[in-house]
Amino acid sequence: MDFVIAQVERLQDAAPLEGLTQDSLIIGEQYYFFTVVLMWLIHVGFMSYEAGVARRKNVLATAMKNILTIAVVTPTFYYIGWWVYGCNQPGFPPIGPNSSDFSALQCQSGIPWSDAFGPNLTNNINLVFFLAFLLFSWTTASIMSGALLERVRLSAYLVLACLLGSVVWILDAAWGWSAGGWMTLRFGFHDSIASGVVHGVAGAFTLGVLFNLGPRIGKYTRDGLARAFRPHDLHRTLLGLMLIFTGFYAFYAACLVISSTAFPGWANIYLSPTTLGTIAMIITFGFAGGFTGGYFASRGDPFWTVSGGLAGVISVSAGADVYAPTLGYLIAMASAAMVVYAGNWIEKKMRVDDVVGAVAVHGVAGFLGVLWVGVFAAGYPTGLNNVESSLWGQLLGIATFLPLGFLTGWFASWVLKKLNLLRVPPEVELAGLDVVEYHQDLYLPEVAAVRERIIEPDGTIVEADAVIAEAHSEVIRR
Amino acid sequence: MPPLINSAPDCVVQGREGATPADDSVDFILQDRYADCAGFGTFMPGSTYGEDGSSAETLYYILTWLGIVVTVLVLIAWVVYENRQLVGHVARIGRRPAGPDDSPPAQPGL
Repeated sequence: MDFVIAQVERLQDAAPLEGLTQDSLIIGEQYYFFTVVLMWLIHVGFMSYEAGVARRKNVLATAMKNILTIAVVTPTFYYIGWWVYGCNQPGFPPIGPNSSDFSALQCQSGIPWSDAFGPNLTNNINLVFFLAFLLFSWTTASIMSGALLERVRLSAYLVLACLLGSVVWILDAAWGWSAGGWMTLRFGFHDSIASGVVHGVAGAFTLGVLFNLGPRIGKYTRDGLARAFRPHDLHRTLLGLMLIFTGFYAFYAACLVISSTAFPGWANIYLSPTTLGTIAMIITFGFAGGFTGGYFASRGDPFWTVSGGLAGVISVSAGADVYAPTLGYLIAMASAAMVVYAGNWIEKKMRVDDVVGAVAVHGVAGFLGVLWVGVFAAGYPTGLNNVESSLWGQLLGIATFLPLGFLTGWFASWVLKKLNLLRVPPEVELAGLDVVEYHQDLYLPEVAAVRERIIEPDGTIVEADAVIAEAHSEVIRR
Repeated sequence: MPPLINSAPDCVVQGREGATPADDSVDFILQDRYADCAGFGTFMPGSTYGEDGSSAETLYYILTWLGIVVTVLVLIAWVVYENRQLVGHVARIGRRPAGPDDSPPAQPGL
């Protein structure tokens, strides 16, 4: 353990800008730039994934929602998000890494009128590092996107996406996913690739929104039993997930800090040492374990098998910098199985209509990931103060992030609901969002439309029209 | 002198010509003209780090706040526009006389 502490100290010595050469700065600049390029695949994947899950009458609206996430989260994250991250790390009462200069520099770089926030010949890193975080923000907002499909208003989603992507998640990142965050400096909180910081919080926020949004018309019978809407294009959904997985390698890579002038050359977000190979192994074994766990827990259901891969990776992300590959494999397998059961429980017992299982896949797996570090990786000196990671530190993280995500999501969506701006009218939901909002069907008229079918709680497959029309009349009557 | 507005910050050295005919030294001359610059974006402060952001000049504050205001207005416009669209659709359905054609639109996958 002394060796690890020595590594942290050497990385801290190398951290000042004057310790870096021009070459090492340019390496860092290029590195983050290419992670940003590859992380676009996550959003291509989210679009494909959600469009495949949606019924055919909502495909175009679903895709547009994903694309427009970029349109609103980008400026809001620029104007407020980076400031939230840079200026809110010390907590209350403030704690810092023995130097107020560090916090001041972080804060200064996050102010939108800082000269580090535009073309600057003496700062190669701030803009590309900001962009990597911006892509994390898109991802966080997109996690919520799929859960709300087919009945949320585009504008309501965009407002919520700004809140989640540019304020909520980045605030918890400031607290627990930064070199100067109070949770790490004080309690050794350890979430190196953002299991809880991104996924857990996004899942909790989404659950809060879903409570106010309500299920799609016809999703539940009068007795509260869940029907299943079949994805209109499962192939597109699986392809989307595979694209997300590809982009996740870049997400993982962007979570590291290059310290090319100091051994071992890489650090996690807390400036504790690791290597790129270490995290690449864990994400790969996370997928392997996750697919396996998802397959067996769902008895071979394709959607849950592939979603299990994602859940597996999320569950090992918090400790990806220190886990052994076999540990990552086993944790991912067990967590993916738990997520399948959690997803079914949320749908059938809680009666929450989460179209893509985001609360289970991201929320449950994310917080499990935080917990597993306390169980399997306690004792690692984390961050600039070398506070050891512990079960208590991890539980504190969950106790902080879970209400932060849930309450903000619930309250914001409650306000929108009271203003009658959260959900589309039932008539629009019935007709389909594509025709009303975009005045066109995604598919050419020559492409034959197949009448949709719905799976009843007892497993029988029936024509959807009659079931939904009846449910619609009930909604109107109420 | 550029047409209309010279928006380059003061740190950029102007009016120094490259070699004629051009040779490799032009690269160094180009960089030399930016040697005093750190942040040099158009309408940006054009100086090295100041104290706690004090280097930002009034114009850049205005530009940034303009961006913030536009962002907020865009979000509000989105809400208003979509609301008008949805309410209009529901009203159109309500105005139609009831009859056999008043059943839900024949959308695929209904």
